[in-house]
Amino acid sequence: MLRSVFRSSRVLIGLTIVGILVVCAIFAPLIAPHDPNEQNLVSILLPPAWSEGGDPSFLLGTDSLGRDVLSRLIFGARVAMTVAVLASLGAMIVGAVLAYIAGYFGGRIDALIGRAVDVWMSFPPVILSLILMVGLGVGLRNVIFAIVAVDWTRFCRVIRSEVLVVRRKDYIAAAQLMGFSHPRVIVKEIVPATLPLLITLLSMEMGIAVIVEAILSFVGMSVSANTPAWGQMVADARQTIYEAPWNLFLPIFAIFLAVLGFNILGDGLRRTLDVRLIARGRT
Amino acid sequence: MLTTIVPLIGRRLIASIFILLVVSVLLFLVLHVLPVDPAAMSMPPTATIAEIEAHRREMGMDQPLWDQYAIWLVKLLQGDLGTSIHFKRSVWGLIADALPATIELAFLSMLIATVFGIGGGLLLFASRGSYAEPAIDLVTIVLLSIPEFLWALFFILIFGVALNVLPFTGRLDADLRLPEGSNFLLLNALFSGQFAIFWNALKHMVLPCFALGIAFSPAIMRVLRSSLIDVYQDDYIHLARLRGVTETRILLGHALKNAILPTLSLMGVQFGFLFGGTLLVEVIFSYPGLGSVMVDAVRNADLPIIQAVGLAYCVVVLVINTVVDTLYLVLNPKLRAQ
Repeated sequence: MLRSVFRSSRVLIGLTIVGILVVCAIFAPLIAPHDPNEQNLVSILLPPAWSEGGDPSFLLGTDSLGRDVLSRLIFGARVAMTVAVLASLGAMIVGAVLAYIAGYFGGRIDALIGRAVDVWMSFPPVILSLILMVGLGVGLRNVIFAIVAVDWTRFCRVIRSEVLVVRRKDYIAAAQLMGFSHPRVIVKEIVPATLPLLITLLSMEMGIAVIVEAILSFVGMSVSANTPAWGQMVADARQTIYEAPWNLFLPIFAIFLAVLGFNILGDGLRRTLDVRLIARGRT
Repeated sequence: MLTTIVPLIGRRLIASIFILLVVSVLLFLVLHVLPVDPAAMSMPPTATIAEIEAHRREMGMDQPLWDQYAIWLVKLLQGDLGTSIHFKRSVWGLIADALPATIELAFLSMLIATVFGIGGGLLLFASRGSYAEPAIDLVTIVLLSIPEFLWALFFILIFGVALNVLPFTGRLDADLRLPEGSNFLLLNALFSGQFAIFWNALKHMVLPCFALGIAFSPAIMRVLRSSLIDVYQDDYIHLARLRGVTETRILLGHALKNAILPTLSLMGVQFGFLFGGTLLVEVIFSYPGLGSVMVDAVRNADLPIIQAVGLAYCVVVLVINTVVDTLYLVLNPKLRAQ
């Protein structure tokens, strides 16, 4: 199965895009030509180096405070990738654990978790995460927490219905008859059966997390102002849209690329792992 | 038919009230454990600590949390949403001004999402097995990867700044005045015969509505395609083909009707998300709706507004879900037969 996964061109394309962004994020201080917060007030709003008036030392130009756009994009990948990985892993763990409990035991606990999902689903995710950020205050840890607290339902709904199918299989009954404890049945028998779905959802969720972080940092409710983030760059560039439209285009493209990478990867995984993906939500 | 639908909707409404109550408790808890102090924030910076304390008592913030919640809930039920700390205006008035704008925006966007979603879904389905399928499929993934606010900014760059053909701030040009009466601007202008205003307002809606509509259509396309593929496994499709019914008629007259049901239930969820998506699109287009009010309130830590607007979003999402569920029941022949 693993070999067919890596033979899928979608998986490879997705992994390549994500891989490049992860490398940018990890080695940002080594790759970035400038300090992302270094202001250069004599050379503000420079266009990219190849166009007229560009400065070769600022390859993709500068923003309204004379900060190097390329360096800010590279450092922005740090926030985006950290949030993508940690928030989606967190959402997966919370959502999946609740889904296993609800789907396996059924009855009252299932109804309770189902109600909780209903309550969460009545909130548009963007609104809920924004309100949580008001309550928690800005900061990377809080962004991750807010996304976990909002997006666990995406995993819970889908995994729960998968668990309902799996738990009716004979081998589950066999395991129970052999006297396996409930936690052991879940961990040894049910979790492996839902693993392909889990991996696919995780990849999709990473794209969603990038979008949510960008939205939050766009309205100034994500990481603090001195940490470069793509959404923040978009918000800054919006102020100088007529003078420097490329400043707006570049972070837009970065966000798009990251989401595309995760989505293509997720789609490739879904096809090769043969997952019946029931619902596909978005922000 | 009514006898099956009415109790189901009734149950749905009761569940919605329960959900709203839980949401209101959660909202209240989240917003009252936060580190900012709204009493201090609403006072001028020269205020003394004693003055702030007095103000806090005035706002009822010295009471235990449960009492505060009870007071808030009772006032809420009486139609009193409190007063904005920042704008010194009744929150109810702020919402009443902003909500119609957001509903118009969301409604037109849903229309566009539906047209594009169903049209695109049919196209996707029709392309199955052809050499173009992988390419078209890839295009839908690319489209899925562009959230509404990126479309919005992209449209502003192209149609607003580069081509300069469409306006991208507010609801009307600065030299036009909002007409008297309801804030459902399009309806209001249309029915009072102010076509210049109607036309201008419509032009202002094009970019935000297309940004939202296009962003939310790919998911609908993909679900419609997969439910069409499911439907085509059924015998009646083969029978229709044997009877000599044309492929187009099989698709549009027979299969689409059955494939639309699963698509509809996804659209309920999608439209809930779309309504949330209006928040950022409004901010980007300086569109004076609920989202703009919310973001202003967030920046000013204006708690009464954040609470009330958060609840307003929930109410609208629950209404959308109930409408979609009802539509689902009305369209579902299996339930009609009972």
